[in-house]
Amino acid sequence: MLEFFFGYLSLVIIIFSLLVVLSKNAIHSVLYMLVMFFHVAGIYLLLQAEFLAAVQIIVYAGAILVLFLFAIMLLNLREELSAEQLTDGWPASLAVVAGLLLTLMLSLGGFTTTFNGSWSPEKIKEITFTKALGQALYTGYILPFEVASIILLVAIVGAIVLAKRRLN
Amino acid sequence: MPGRYLPTEYLPVAIFIAISIAFGLGALIMGSMVRLRRPYREKLMPYESGIDPVGEPRVRFSIRFYIIAMLFVVFDVEAIFMYPWAIVFDKIGLFALIEMIIFIVILLVGYVYALKKEAFRWE
Amino acid sequence: MIPLHWYLWLGSIVFCIGIFGFLAKRNIIIMFLSIELMLNGVNISLVALSHYMQDLRGEILVFFIIAVAAAEAAIGLAIVVSLFRNRTSPHVDEIRELKG
Repeated sequence: MLEFFFGYLSLVIIIFSLLVVLSKNAIHSVLYMLVMFFHVAGIYLLLQAEFLAAVQIIVYAGAILVLFLFAIMLLNLREELSAEQLTDGWPASLAVVAGLLLTLMLSLGGFTTTFNGSWSPEKIKEITFTKALGQALYTGYILPFEVASIILLVAIVGAIVLAKRRLN
Repeated sequence: MPGRYLPTEYLPVAIFIAISIAFGLGALIMGSMVRLRRPYREKLMPYESGIDPVGEPRVRFSIRFYIIAMLFVVFDVEAIFMYPWAIVFDKIGLFALIEMIIFIVILLVGYVYALKKEAFRWE
Repeated sequence: MIPLHWYLWLGSIVFCIGIFGFLAKRNIIIMFLSIELMLNGVNISLVALSHYMQDLRGEILVFFIIAVAAAEAAIGLAIVVSLFRNRTSPHVDEIRELKG
C-alpha cells in the first residue's frame, strides 16, 4: 500500500516537473508546478511531516505561485511560441545534467543510515508533528528564527524599492 | 521504524480529493456525451450585440497588484511561523513570547516602511 | 517498507530536472520555476533523511528553506519585472545592459 502511494506520487512529480521545464507557455508551466507541489506535499505526508505538507501548500502553492502568475501578467510578454525555447548550448547542459543524475543515482543506490535520533515515528505520532517541530524550533533554533525575520524584512524593503522605482 | 509510516488519519482527505476529481471529470464527460455539438460563427460573437473586442486579450496590469501580492507572501510566511509557536506556547512560556515579540517587531519595521512608502495607497 | 534511497533518488531526479531547466531554457519565468524545482528536490531529500534518522533537524531546515524561498521569489520576481517591463520577449539572452 505504501509502495503504491509512493509510486503514484513520485511518478506524477517526475512527469509534471518535466512538463514544467518543457512547456512553451509560462502560464502552463506555473499550473503544472501547482500539481507538482501538491504531490510533493503528499510525499511529506508519507514522511510524517504533515505540518510541512500544509506549509508547502500554503506558501508554495498559495503564495509563491500567485506571485509568479502576477509577474507573468505584469510583464505582458507576447508568447513567441514559434521562437526557440532552448539556448544554443542545450545539448551540453543535457550532457552535464545526465552525468550528474547518473552519478547521484549510482552513489545513492542502497544508501542507508544508522544514525538514530530521539524523535522516532512513534514518539512523533504520540505528540503530533507540529508540536514536536515547534518545541525543537523555539528552543534550539532561536537565532535562525530571528534571522529569518530579517530575511523577510529585506524581502519587503527590496521588493518595494524595486517596484516603486518603476511606479514613479 | 521509519519508512513504514502510513498516514491513515489522512484517508478521509484522500477520499475527498478522489470524489471531487471524479465529480468534476464525471460532469464534464457526461455532458460531452449527452449534449449536441453544432458550432457556428455566431456563437463566438459578443453576447447581445456587444462591442467587438479591440486589441489584445492580455492587458498590462498595474504594478501595484504585484506590490500587494509580494506583501501578502511575506506576511503569509510570518503567519506560518506563528502557527507552531502558538501550539507550543504553553510549554515554553515567557521565553517564547519574547522571541515572538522580537520577530514581530523586526517585521513591523518592514510594515512601517511599506506604509511610509505608500505601498498600500491606491490612487 | 520503503528504503531511504528511493526518496533520495526522487529528490535527485527533481533536482536534475531543475538544473536542466535553468541551464537550457531561455524564458526567464521558467528559469525561475526551475530554481523552485531544485529547492523542492532538496527539500524531499532533507525530509526523507530527517525521517529515517529520526531527527527533526532536516525538517526544521526545510521549514526555513520554504521561508527563504518565499523571500527569494518576491525579490527575484521584482527584479525580473523591472528588467523586462519594457520588453516584449521573456528571453534572457536578449538582456545585454546592466541597467533595467
